[in-house]
Amino acid sequence: MTSIASRRAAGAGEATAARRRRWRGGWPLAALLALLAVLTVSPFVAMFVVALSPAGAPTIPLQWPGSLTLDNITRLLSASGFVTWTVNSLVYAGVSVVIILLTASMAGYAFAKKRFPGRETLLWTMLATMMVPFQATLIPTFVLVNMLEGVDTFWGLIVPTLANAQAVFLMRQFILGLPDELFDAAKVDGASEWRVYWTIVVPLTRPILATLGVFVFLWHWNDFLWPLVVGQSDATRTLTVGLTTLQTEEAQLAVLMSSAAVSVIPCLLVFFLLQRYLVNSIAMTGLK
Amino acid sequence: MRQRLRDPVTGLLFVLPVLVLFLVFRIFPSLGAAGMSLTNWNIGGEWDFIGADNYARLLDDTNFWLSLRVTLVYVAIYVPLTLLVALGTALLLNQVVFLRGLFRGMLFLPYVTSFVLAGIIWRWIYEFDGLINGLLAKADLGPVAFLEESAVVLPALAVVSVWKGFGYSMLILLAGLKSIPSSYLEAARVDGASAWQRFRRITLPLLKPTIFFVVVIETIGAFQTFDTVYVMTGGGPARATYTLIFGIYEHGFRSFDFGYAATWGMVLFAIVLVVSLVQRRFLDRGNT
Repeated sequence: MTSIASRRAAGAGEATAARRRRWRGGWPLAALLALLAVLTVSPFVAMFVVALSPAGAPTIPLQWPGSLTLDNITRLLSASGFVTWTVNSLVYAGVSVVIILLTASMAGYAFAKKRFPGRETLLWTMLATMMVPFQATLIPTFVLVNMLEGVDTFWGLIVPTLANAQAVFLMRQFILGLPDELFDAAKVDGASEWRVYWTIVVPLTRPILATLGVFVFLWHWNDFLWPLVVGQSDATRTLTVGLTTLQTEEAQLAVLMSSAAVSVIPCLLVFFLLQRYLVNSIAMTGLK
Repeated sequence: MRQRLRDPVTGLLFVLPVLVLFLVFRIFPSLGAAGMSLTNWNIGGEWDFIGADNYARLLDDTNFWLSLRVTLVYVAIYVPLTLLVALGTALLLNQVVFLRGLFRGMLFLPYVTSFVLAGIIWRWIYEFDGLINGLLAKADLGPVAFLEESAVVLPALAVVSVWKGFGYSMLILLAGLKSIPSSYLEAARVDGASAWQRFRRITLPLLKPTIFFVVVIETIGAFQTFDTVYVMTGGGPARATYTLIFGIYEHGFRSFDFGYAATWGMVLFAIVLVVSLVQRRFLDRGNT
């Protein structure tokens, strides 16, 4: 007992000694890193300062604003377009997250644990489509959606973006690692396939579902080209596209920066609450 | 036996939603792109088969060669720059212990936002009365018309994309650095190798596969640059930022020349395919 404790203490001592050693020699590196980190976030700080400066009053880069106000943002929220775009973006991202998580986990389960004819062919054909960039098929996809009368509708905006090979592949890889016995046992007990999926697959894949959900949300919230060509009126226009229309209308800088600042809030929330998730999943799976 | 017979149906049922989505919105448009590039498809949906006419037109189109050159120059600026920043910050994060989590978060922050947001903030930063020129003016320098000079506009755009995206590559490289056994570096240190020698002879060779992955991912991404161009320059000045995707967008959604726009898309597809094949070649060689 004591030996373990003392060994642990010695280990901790070594660790702090190593840390101190690194720290003493490394302060120029730490200073450089701090400088780069501050430079990286400074455009966001500048955006928020301008967004919170009284409209028309002098602000950065000339001088720091004398006072800060939420006026720009409240004015934004009473203007009709902006709120609609925000709701549209939430619908676009929210519905996509739910459907992609559901369909990708169902398919991932079948690809990992079910035997059916053509399984490998289907899987690899699907993965091969990842080599075709979306922009290369932008025109035919638009023409197809146009023929189905989906332009400027929510289904036209959402449905074509739901075919996500990355999501299916990630789910399959994760479910491959779950032991077969779990599923067999449930089936012996007479559970239906849907019940197995719902009571075993979904709870066991919760961590990867959460990670994937965060990524899908960010992809869709930040998406631009497809919403730009499909969402042609305010009814389906998303926030990213709306921001660019504000810009072409030569909106006041304060209005533009307030809109930009509000649009980034969900991303910041995700970032502050789930940064560890994001960082780990990028490091482990290369999910982009 | 009964279980086995039931499996094919349930397996297929579970992949069915994903299968339909992929068939309709990925595979069909991919084939459709090739087909449309052989037609003069227009906005009314009327079309004639015109063989390889679009490809002949492409070869004669000075704007196409210009956009190819713009895109290649952009890739040539962006990829080394982002690799340099990502590798530099990853190395620093691997060395510095002090407030590492905070600095990593700050450096990663822009990655969770959109290219549209990045474009809007940076357009203001680059403007005549923007952040950089404001600071330059305080030092009695400038102003520099970052977005109106053909010579500086592509590097200026590359900087924006690097700022927005380097966090991803930084995390991938950091994971690669962490996987290098510290005993190698320790042994080299004991043998008297300098910091530079340790980096050059141990870290860099062992990090090579990770660097390669990052270069491929960033190259493919750089060929697809659109959002920042749309927001910041609209392809100008004098088509100095007329990238391939901008060409697809313009022919498709400004001239509604869908057949010809699809042909531009095929070029993008060919480029991404070549990059992916080169990647596989190198990876295979690395494995044997």
